[in-house]
Amino acid sequence: MDEFQEILQDFLIESFELVEKLDEDLVELENTPEDLELLNGIFRVAHTVKGASSFLNFDVLTHLTHHMEDVLNKARHGELLITPDIMDVILESIDLMKALLNIIRDTSADAGVDVAACVVKLDKISGGNGEVDTPAPVAPVEEIVTPVEEVTPAEAEEDEPDYENMSPDDLEAEIEKLLNERQEEDKAKRKAKLEAGEEVLAAPEVQEEVSPEPTPAPVSTPVPVTPPAPPAAPKAEAPKEEVKAAAPAKRSPATVEQTIRVDVKRLDHLMNLIGELVLAKNRLIKINDDVEERYEGEEFLEELNQVVSIVSLVTTDLQIAVMKTRMLPIGKVFNKFPRMIRDLTRELNKKIELEISGEDTELDKSIVEEIGDPLVHIIRNSCDHGIETPDIRLAAGKPETGTIALKAYNEGNQIVIQIDDDGKGLDTDMLKNKALEKGLISEKEADSMSEKEAFGLIMRPGFSTAAAVTNVSGRGVGMDVVKTNIEKVNGIIDIESEKGVGSSMKLKIPLTLAIIQALLVGVQEEHYAIPLASVLETVRISKDEIYTVEGRSVMRLRDEVLSLVHIGDIFEVERILDASEHAYVVVLGLGTSKLGLIVDNLVGQEEIVIKSLGDYLKGIEGIAGATIRGDGGVTLICDVVALMDMAKGVKATALVESSSVAQITHEKTKPSDYCVMIVDDSKTDRTIMRKALEPMGITLVEASDGQEALNILKAGDYSFDAMLVDIEMPRMDGYSLATEIKKYNRYKNLPLIAVTSRTGKSDRMRGVESGMVEYITKPYSADYLASVVQRNVNFKAEFL
Amino acid sequence: MSDKLKQIINKQNEQQNSETLDQSDNIVQLVGFIIGEEEYAVPILTIQEIIKPISWTRVPQTPAYILGVFNLRGSVIPLIDLRVKFGLRSKNHNDETRFFVLKQGDDVAGFVIDRLTMAIRIKKQDIGPAPDTLAGDESMIEGVGKQDDRILTILKVAKLLERDF
Repeated sequence: MDEFQEILQDFLIESFELVEKLDEDLVELENTPEDLELLNGIFRVAHTVKGASSFLNFDVLTHLTHHMEDVLNKARHGELLITPDIMDVILESIDLMKALLNIIRDTSADAGVDVAACVVKLDKISGGNGEVDTPAPVAPVEEIVTPVEEVTPAEAEEDEPDYENMSPDDLEAEIEKLLNERQEEDKAKRKAKLEAGEEVLAAPEVQEEVSPEPTPAPVSTPVPVTPPAPPAAPKAEAPKEEVKAAAPAKRSPATVEQTIRVDVKRLDHLMNLIGELVLAKNRLIKINDDVEERYEGEEFLEELNQVVSIVSLVTTDLQIAVMKTRMLPIGKVFNKFPRMIRDLTRELNKKIELEISGEDTELDKSIVEEIGDPLVHIIRNSCDHGIETPDIRLAAGKPETGTIALKAYNEGNQIVIQIDDDGKGLDTDMLKNKALEKGLISEKEADSMSEKEAFGLIMRPGFSTAAAVTNVSGRGVGMDVVKTNIEKVNGIIDIESEKGVGSSMKLKIPLTLAIIQALLVGVQEEHYAIPLASVLETVRISKDEIYTVEGRSVMRLRDEVLSLVHIGDIFEVERILDASEHAYVVVLGLGTSKLGLIVDNLVGQEEIVIKSLGDYLKGIEGIAGATIRGDGGVTLICDVVALMDMAKGVKATALVESSSVAQITHEKTKPSDYCVMIVDDSKTDRTIMRKALEPMGITLVEASDGQEALNILKAGDYSFDAMLVDIEMPRMDGYSLATEIKKYNRYKNLPLIAVTSRTGKSDRMRGVESGMVEYITKPYSADYLASVVQRNVNFKAEFL
Repeated sequence: MSDKLKQIINKQNEQQNSETLDQSDNIVQLVGFIIGEEEYAVPILTIQEIIKPISWTRVPQTPAYILGVFNLRGSVIPLIDLRVKFGLRSKNHNDETRFFVLKQGDDVAGFVIDRLTMAIRIKKQDIGPAPDTLAGDESMIEGVGKQDDRILTILKVAKLLERDF
């Protein structure tokens, strides 16, 4: 049974691949009904599916494909000309075939779809008689004959034994036999082809492997040198040529592509592991920096450096390599559109031509899956609203047939998918009026709206310009879906349009989702990562460059006015550190809108791995995820789209001095209410100080270095009245400690008393600079120390 | 110290000895911990691990009881302060503070507790339902365990891991 499952899986994968290509080919066929190569390709799909399904006892599917095959066989032999009506029936049968395949996938059986009606139609077309026994193919005039690749139907029929009556064992033996046979034939054939200097197309290899058909004629191979068909339909010429031109590019001379199928789960797992590796690499780099700082000039450093850079280099390469294995050509998505356009043109009574280019452009699998729906909506939209009916087009002096161009190309770190149409374009006034009507915007907003912003209206939920809801559009949902889905993959939508000439929509999508470049910014003690793709520039400004207009902070950036928002206001950051005179503005750009985000400092650019916050915390506004940094800490990643939205609701508190933290000064009722911290790395020195101060009865807290002292301060367990600070200490010295402490609003006025053996003038100066109020040199008398402390903490006389 | 240890070991042995007589499926294994003044417990199998406090990152726009997220060997996990969640004032972490990482299905979260007590084996019949006033779907209490002179509040892990904002 397992073996059967295996065969079934292969059958399904193969069939779906074939069917996907089929749609495209069929529409192409309608334009060039005499293209024998295409016909052969299509015929072969029906035939392959039929053959395989009879192997597997899918009677309904066999029945259906059998009759399809009849019709196509006739057409292939020139006895039947494909008209749109016949095409409708063929397409219907293909839809049924797809439905059957889906059912087989879900239930492993092909019941539940009624194919009788379609079979009758097919029979009618093929003239009601079953097999057509035609001898050699009749090659149409404009065809360069390629006899090697021709399958004669007689051969095909002959080699197809009656599998239905076979026992399972026999069946397997038969499969085995056929596969062996085919391998032999393949080899012989390839050899012959190589000798003949023929090129073997790489792609059909996959389908050949499992195909039970005895003669592996690579019919889907387009003829490399088909001369242009007679210019019967000049309009159809351009796209056809493009398709033809794209095909030969795929082939590599005389080599057969080696492929294996891999479960996507394994790739996902691999990608996760790489993510971990990138994090570890970041951490290694950080440690390397630290070590470098501490052991400057040591010999082993160079070696360490080398190892770190090799690891970092290889990790980056590995990451790219794994990313590439997850890439799929976007053609996989594009394939379904020719068929869709065809159906829409018939439904809407319009003439529309679809031009596809760049279908080889590759994108991460997860993104390819996400962009299918948005593209469907955009193209439907272009067909319904963009392209006019033929009579209107003629009246406007345009060619009767409208064109929709679907392009994909790389641009920097992004993939751009561009959808152009030469329809009527977007009418900004009409858009604004509709939006006003539906209550989506206010009149004031409508007046101040730029052209681009007006175009953006079509993305709003509930917006529709269609007068009536049709099958195709008018519900006001589609473009909203586009926006949501594209934003989900961190993409940007850019709309351009000229009234009467056409519109162009660009979807800019990052290559991959998992690992991105980000700008790390700091606000107070927190860090946030902003995807670099949304950062236009960063500027350093002083506070007086910020103006307030209508309750919002703005600044002038060259000749533009940029609205500003403080990241701390969006993320409710507590202002504990003293803001400096200068601030950094990160200019965020998203499509047409811009926003200046004020941050306290810029940390740098880093490659980060996006991790989800999990179910418990998902959907927090403004946060797209989290990443783990080199130091093992977690940094949150900003969701720029949401950030821009949230910025609208934030009042202009940016950089307005927050009222200084209320100093809670408790009334001192006893000596132990006074609290002094002693910071010294020497236990003896701490004890000397403690002995000197203990007689006063005040509370004493000890710390052995700057870092520890800072931690005690931050913990906030004590409210200190003064600190005695040694200058020379490991980890953090007295000067740095003083500088750090002074950053906090709360401790700005905390008296810091330096206790040191350094007596140099410059030392004293540095002490003053870093905010020390007193400078006691060792050795000192106990009384002197006590009196200095008493003076600085305003020790009440009655306690003495 | 060693006395205390002995005591605990003896106690556990006693428990084990007395319980090995029972059918093992009548025994529930729990881990007890203290928040504020009360002792709570969760089933031992829902605990992924118990770690000493490490640094975490605040997440904006969340209720006060969500401290933020922390990095547990490469996974980003939410951290919830059970003191605040249970309506007590938060307090600074000390030597006894622990992060309880609870897991059920795909849901994982860390919970800050004041102090760990011990692993407890308790008979099913010694676990009573939550008081009527506190029972119901919304309640975080699975049941109340009685052992010797102690009363344990057994928490619903699924409820703890459920997002309620």
